[in-house]
Amino acid sequence: MRTLLRFLKPYRLQTAIVLGSLAVNLAGVLLVPTILANMINIGISTGNFDYIVTQGMFMLVAAFVSGAGAFACNYFCADLSTKVGRDIRNAVYDASLAFSGGDFEQFGTGSMITRTLGDVNVIQQAITMTIQMMLPVPFAAVIGIVLACSIDMQMGIMLACFVGVVAIIAVASVGKAAKIFQKLQQFIDRMNVRLRESITGVRVIRAFGKEEMERQSLDEAFSSYATNAIRVNWIFATFDCSSFFIMNIAEVATIWLGGNRVGAHAMEIASISACVEYAMLILFFIMMAQISALMLPRALVCLERCRRVIDHEPSIADGPADQLAISDGGAAAQNAEAPVVAHFGNASFRFADADEDTLHHINFMCRRGTTTAIIGPTGSGKSTIAKMLLRFHDVTDGSVRLCGVDVRDLTQEALRDHISYVPQKAWLFSGTIADNLRYGAPDATDEELWHALDVAQSGFVRELPDGLESRVAQGGTNFSGGQRQRLSIARALVKKADLYIFDDSFSALDFKTDAALRHALAQEVSHAAVLIIAQRINTILNADQIVVLKDGCIQGLGTHEELMRTCEAYREIARSQLRADELEALMDDAAEPDDAVEVSEKPVVDAKGGE
Amino acid sequence: MTMEKHDTTHMSAEQPISAAANQVAEGATSQMLEPARPGAPDPEPEQELEVPRDPKATLRRLWSVSTGEHWRFAVVLVCIVCYTVSHIAAPAYSAHVIDLLWGNIQEAFARGESFSIGWDTGGRELLIFVGIWTLAWAFYTIQNFTMASFAERLNLKLRRLIAEKLNRLPLKFYDAHKPGDVMSRATNDLDKVSEVLQRGLLSMLIAVGSVIGAAIMMVRLNLVLALVFFVFAAISVVMTRLVAKKTLVLAAEQQRAVGILTGHVEEAYSGRIVIKAFNQEQASSHRIHEATQRLADTMRKTDFVTNVVAPMVRCLVRFAQVVLALLGCGFLMQGQLTVGTLQAFFQYVNTAAEPLTQFSLTMNQLQSALAAVERVFGILDEPEIDPDPAEPAQVVRPVRGRIAFEHVRFGYDPDRPLMKDVSFVAEPGQKVAIVGATGAGKTTLINLLMRFYEIDGGRITLDGVDTHAMTRADLRRNFGMVLQDAWLREGTIAENIAYGCPDATKEEIVQAAKTAQVDFFVRTMPHGYETELANDAENISQGQRQLLTIARVLLANPAILILDEATSSVDTRTEKAIVTAMERLTQGRTSFVIAHRLSTIVDSDLILVMDHGTIIEQGTHEQLLAAGGVYADLYNSQFA
Repeated sequence: MRTLLRFLKPYRLQTAIVLGSLAVNLAGVLLVPTILANMINIGISTGNFDYIVTQGMFMLVAAFVSGAGAFACNYFCADLSTKVGRDIRNAVYDASLAFSGGDFEQFGTGSMITRTLGDVNVIQQAITMTIQMMLPVPFAAVIGIVLACSIDMQMGIMLACFVGVVAIIAVASVGKAAKIFQKLQQFIDRMNVRLRESITGVRVIRAFGKEEMERQSLDEAFSSYATNAIRVNWIFATFDCSSFFIMNIAEVATIWLGGNRVGAHAMEIASISACVEYAMLILFFIMMAQISALMLPRALVCLERCRRVIDHEPSIADGPADQLAISDGGAAAQNAEAPVVAHFGNASFRFADADEDTLHHINFMCRRGTTTAIIGPTGSGKSTIAKMLLRFHDVTDGSVRLCGVDVRDLTQEALRDHISYVPQKAWLFSGTIADNLRYGAPDATDEELWHALDVAQSGFVRELPDGLESRVAQGGTNFSGGQRQRLSIARALVKKADLYIFDDSFSALDFKTDAALRHALAQEVSHAAVLIIAQRINTILNADQIVVLKDGCIQGLGTHEELMRTCEAYREIARSQLRADELEALMDDAAEPDDAVEVSEKPVVDAKGGE
Repeated sequence: MTMEKHDTTHMSAEQPISAAANQVAEGATSQMLEPARPGAPDPEPEQELEVPRDPKATLRRLWSVSTGEHWRFAVVLVCIVCYTVSHIAAPAYSAHVIDLLWGNIQEAFARGESFSIGWDTGGRELLIFVGIWTLAWAFYTIQNFTMASFAERLNLKLRRLIAEKLNRLPLKFYDAHKPGDVMSRATNDLDKVSEVLQRGLLSMLIAVGSVIGAAIMMVRLNLVLALVFFVFAAISVVMTRLVAKKTLVLAAEQQRAVGILTGHVEEAYSGRIVIKAFNQEQASSHRIHEATQRLADTMRKTDFVTNVVAPMVRCLVRFAQVVLALLGCGFLMQGQLTVGTLQAFFQYVNTAAEPLTQFSLTMNQLQSALAAVERVFGILDEPEIDPDPAEPAQVVRPVRGRIAFEHVRFGYDPDRPLMKDVSFVAEPGQKVAIVGATGAGKTTLINLLMRFYEIDGGRITLDGVDTHAMTRADLRRNFGMVLQDAWLREGTIAENIAYGCPDATKEEIVQAAKTAQVDFFVRTMPHGYETELANDAENISQGQRQLLTIARVLLANPAILILDEATSSVDTRTEKAIVTAMERLTQGRTSFVIAHRLSTIVDSDLILVMDHGTIIEQGTHEQLLAAGGVYADLYNSQFA
């Protein structure tokens, strides 16, 4: 609730106008029958037509003012709710931008999307509903009861009683219905899960000939939803019908009491109808409120979900320095050209919810002009190393330095200015290929783009009719996995950086492209340090330095040849990925590094894999 | 305002956006969509037409689908007629009661007495009045409860039809449609229908009855006043119609804005690492803010226009009331009207006016519901797979597993053939490796083997029998598939392993798991083999999922295997386990392996090299190396 107030605050004016115009509208609505009653009363008692005409004018004014109020209320209600919706969306999104990897994963992509879109929609609708359907109730009730009291005290009290009873019933029934509604949601989810399963698994289902079974299980989900939906409808029907009944009783009771009061000279005959009208109006508003109130619990949940995102404290904060130079007083030039680009000094990392460190005391450095590779099984912490360099995660112990400066002393922007990164999952943005390639370097020329594409083996772009201006669909889904990966490599190459990180970026490429790309890459980024994270041993054979990672610990550090001799973990990886003959050839390489390429190109064909 | 108890405007319980959000996690399935189309325009979700193309035909069809529920409709109609009659009778009778009371009161006043209602001085009439209302209430209640299950039953029927249809749709349909699309037909669209049937249609029928009844009564009470009202009513109908048309246009505009924002947000969240790595937070925030601003602008318009109809009509009605009040009082003074009738007339004005505020919006809702039904029928009308032959050919048991492609011709689009003339033979027990770059058409071959797609020419035989002459079930029974997209069903691990043979004993299941090297892992799960697998909750890794699918195939014990080797998403140890499990699996069976690893390729009895959807080279490793073609290139480039 406080969250909502926070978002309403900038729109105090609109809120005031909405409330004011709503009051005007309802006063007008209720005055019309009052004036009508006056007219009739005068008409039958004195027959003063002039007075009637004056009253008619009043009525016209009341109708007009009420209409104007309704329009204003409507307009500002739409204005208010959409603006608040927009602000919440923006706030959620902007909050997410400051999140570290861990912060974001706490919520999850799917959930974040729902929070930004669906949840806000619900909130927005709830605001509209509250203004249009629920706020009229107190206004109408107060104005109506006051008017009724002004006609006759007893009538007013009776009206108040009816309103009280119906309001209590409405609140009770809303409470009950809200619960059932939430249960119904589970059945909807169930239908969706079943449907999704039978659609995405169609090949497997058919391969196993299980069509009939899947149909039955779908049927089951559909049936149980139907049963429960019907139950909800019944409950609705019950509420609906009981309100109907109370309204009838209210009308008859009003006429009965009204008749008696007129008989007692307490009021006049036409005012009975006015009172009936008040009662109907108020009860009508309560019923509308009752239906729309069902939405509020859900809206509150949605609001809370958004608030969690907005109020989430990002776990990574900017450091003070916005340039590499400042931290240790060294000259800027020196730092920017530092021979050691990245340095892990006894760095350890533990996820917030984990019992054990993901990375233990990591020590290594990446030098300018050299290639460092990290290899190890999934879950060994390879990608985490890259993420610590980019400060998607922070070390829990030790330090990570870029060109001699602790990454925590830099602003995130300054840090990332010096790093170009190819993520594990090649992700492109909708737009053109050129838009994507210029992502890290807006001023790059077309020639630079083509050059990067060539290095990244993305010759296919030349074959596209629109070349650099070819459309890229959201996520790049109109390109194959390999093409996406190459484009995202090209994007990283366009950006000039001191450190290039390739996080398992060659996995979707076939052997041939992989090889050609690495070859071209070597010459391209000689001015910087390169960090390659890989699973395939072929990808990293020629690296200047290979870090073997297992269970978060460095098992070995050296060139391929050194590691083949000294590191058991490395040999194990090699054994699992290569055949005996290839392995032998590579072992020979270790002895005679110069022949490495040639030997491995002539594998002994008839040797059966000997794992 | 009167007894109009049916609000139709704001009762939408659907969540249009969250469905779209669900579609994000579906990257895996799009791999199946084979030839990737570089540079092709965004697969923009087709704009949903909110106007039915052929409302009459759709209605007729809907009517025929709802056989068995027709009696409900009859009951409802009868009830609505009775309800309307008593509903309309009530104000007339109240006029009579008021006049009676007024008469009695005036009499009493004339006698100088005060008046209070007794049995003979209005009490009886008041009771009858209660009776009339109770009657109206009873009919209202009956139709409400009768209708409560009508829409959902109809929906259930349609959903069952969809479920059946899903089994008869060709794979082509699945590859061409996003799962989310089909799902939203079966859930959101049909929910919309039941919503409208439940409330919209009912209040529509009641409204029509009320308006007609009220109009008749007004004319009977006073023709001049009635005509005045009709003029105002006509004006408001025209105005609401105009506004309603505008609403449709705006709704489409809003839908577009929602689509754009959804696209931006999905994209930004999925690519947030890239955004941050390239310091593009500002730009991205700006882009999102623009999209939310655009959405807010269109939403404000749509909201305003949608909600303004009711106040607009009410305002008009009030102007009418002013005119009517002046005229009415004139008639009253001339003695042409009684107090009761004048007040009754005003009640009829309200009875007739309130439905007018909703009429056009309800029409819009009905239209969009019909359009939704049409979309559902659209799925039901999709072309189906050819039925299985009446007298299917049988393969001699036990199946040996000889597969032969004879001059096979095929294209996803028959006008653009991919395979023009492919022939090869896999002898029983042989291992066939399929090699090729991503998108070269490896999946195509499997699609044809399993008859997920039908070939355009030539034939494929299993042990000499044309697979086309067999039933699909008979054919597929002989195949086991282990794909990278390791699909598991929601259910326990044991159920999943026993998917192909539900009668398997616990021992057999455990044995299969052991052979597939997944037994140990399963035992580490909290409930062992009874652990529930959720599809979206990632409680097991991709590699382990694949091992489970291997166990699933092992238990089914097919004669022929189709395997997709693990690639990089699996760690080394699991990969080793998968390789071992696959080797055990392939022993003594004909196997087709989508190869990523050298050992597989070199060892195989036959290598099929694919490119652009067709087989360009085939032979053993030695033959292909000697030939010095594409395969030799590919192979040699490994260590460049």
